[in-house]
Amino acid sequence: MPRISIYQEDDIPSPMRKLWQAFADNPFALMGLWAVTCLLFLAIFGPWIAPFSPEQQDPLALLLPPSWDASGTVEHFLGTDDLGRDIFSRLLHGAHLTFGMALAIVMASLAVGFVIGSISGMMKGLKSSILSHLLDALLSIPSLLMAILVVAVMGPGLSNVFWAVGIALTPQFVRAIHQAVHEELQKDYVTAAKLDGANSIQIFWYVIMPNVWETLIIQTTLAISAAILDIAALGFLNLGAQAPSPEWGAMVSQGLDNLLTAPWTVTIPGVAILCSVLAINLVGDGLRSALSPIRN
Amino acid sequence: MGRYLLRRLNLFLATSLVLIAVLFITTGYFPVDKQYALTGIESPTLQQQALSRDEFKLDSNGFNQFLAYTEQRLSGNLGLSVTSQKPVIDELTQVLPASFELAIVAGLLAILLGVPLGVLASLSKNKITQHSIMAITLTGYSIPVFWLGLTLSLWFGVELGWLPISGRINLLYEIEPITGFMLIDTLLSDSIYRISAFLDALQHIVLPAITLAVLPFTVVVRITRAAMLHIMNEPYIRAAEARGLHTGTIVLRHALPNALIPVLKNMGLMLGTFASYAMIVEVIFSWPGVGSWLVSGIYQRDYTVIQGGVLGVALIIIFFSILIEVLHNAINPISRKEIYAAN
Repeated sequence: MPRISIYQEDDIPSPMRKLWQAFADNPFALMGLWAVTCLLFLAIFGPWIAPFSPEQQDPLALLLPPSWDASGTVEHFLGTDDLGRDIFSRLLHGAHLTFGMALAIVMASLAVGFVIGSISGMMKGLKSSILSHLLDALLSIPSLLMAILVVAVMGPGLSNVFWAVGIALTPQFVRAIHQAVHEELQKDYVTAAKLDGANSIQIFWYVIMPNVWETLIIQTTLAISAAILDIAALGFLNLGAQAPSPEWGAMVSQGLDNLLTAPWTVTIPGVAILCSVLAINLVGDGLRSALSPIRN
Repeated sequence: MGRYLLRRLNLFLATSLVLIAVLFITTGYFPVDKQYALTGIESPTLQQQALSRDEFKLDSNGFNQFLAYTEQRLSGNLGLSVTSQKPVIDELTQVLPASFELAIVAGLLAILLGVPLGVLASLSKNKITQHSIMAITLTGYSIPVFWLGLTLSLWFGVELGWLPISGRINLLYEIEPITGFMLIDTLLSDSIYRISAFLDALQHIVLPAITLAVLPFTVVVRITRAAMLHIMNEPYIRAAEARGLHTGTIVLRHALPNALIPVLKNMGLMLGTFASYAMIVEVIFSWPGVGSWLVSGIYQRDYTVIQGGVLGVALIIIFFSILIEVLHNAINPISRKEIYAAN
């Protein structure tokens, strides 16, 4: 007697596997994932790959154009700036400042936002609205204004960027998690768990959390790209990373003096920022569209 | 509805108080003498010292100081600017219209171009059109605004020489400020050159407005597209199709008004980012608005300007985000139902 198979497939893919398949079907998202992996690699190992030190000045090669230009050399692959510093090495050294710092800031504000957001989401009534509305006030202060306040108190510097961008990002996490938890809390399956006698910690961790992770992941990718843009913008305005630092935004502002004679000193760091933010947004977009059929 | 409006007003007041409290605490940490940070007078006479002591109740406890601070700031006493020694409130009202002008032009550009493109993207069945529109918007979303501004001014301002890249108007024209909006003031002025002055002001606003419009434009396109895709599958659209209505009528009269509701909501959420971007654009194009004023204030450690500017801008953003939320609820019956259910 033949075996009766009621399923079309031999094995049923787990939700994670389904998610990965939906994600991998989108070539752009996969491309973004590769780019982000490369960026991570460069942010960690960049200083060892770089051919020169970021502050090494070569007086014989001032404002050298990139290597594909007729007067460029391969030795300085992306050209040099007005002090003869190799732009390629500076980009590699700056990767962990811009990209790595964005990751660190997002992780820190995610942790804080997660705790506050889930507490305020689980609470009801006045307490919950006070917690969430207090943070609405902070949310309404744009990150740049926050940075101006922080710089006014502590003076400019890379460590202050951490506080400025972190304080500006945290309320977004709080709001997203608060709303997600609050929405799930209204649903019937939560009531069912309550009737089964689950206490609120069990409801939060075992019942609600599995359905909030997705919101969290999407919010995190959005926050990383926002953090990179903010760090670079502060570096550009001289409020964050200071002059000799190879942070990408600060590199753009250092190249500003030679914008007309040597536009590549501005263009190349700008393209680097654009590409890394684009890669993260591609991953975020791919994740969102891969998650949406599962979520709905 | 009345109860809801009251709650929003309450929220506005509470949020503003928290904001003032944050500013008050920060002022205490400024690395200068507190009296100097509050008033902006570097070497006050004994009379001035006594006056500011009295105004800000510096001899009293922290809570009374906070009350006095709130009272002074809300009654318009923002102190003197450290660098120019003029009242900060005068400078603020002078620079605000320029920022509003830029923001309004950029916002209109974003909506007028973004909504039709979003609708087109949602209706098109062509994969290439869809993908290219999404690719353009994703790039626009990822572009660092300061770099975009520099690149545009390098191309269109310097290499092609088509458009001016700094300021609001050529210095040759002398325009009396009436409304503070350069585009309106030039038309209102009675000089014989007013048309050419208007055209000049228009040319000056093109590059900054386009740079600033890129981010809201991409967001509007993406949200309009997503909302239209969702709505075009609703039963009531199929009913309209079954009645034999023209596609244009269905899209414009039945689908689009509903698709614009999430656009409005997201504009409220985007205000903070938009303000940050506007400040950077103002710095790049030397636009004499709040942003460049505040950034030069921080370069010069002008503590009164920093407090006044942050307070002004943040209050405006809080006000508009609550206004947009109220508008959103006023035109969207579904969310109104939720409010009543919650009460």
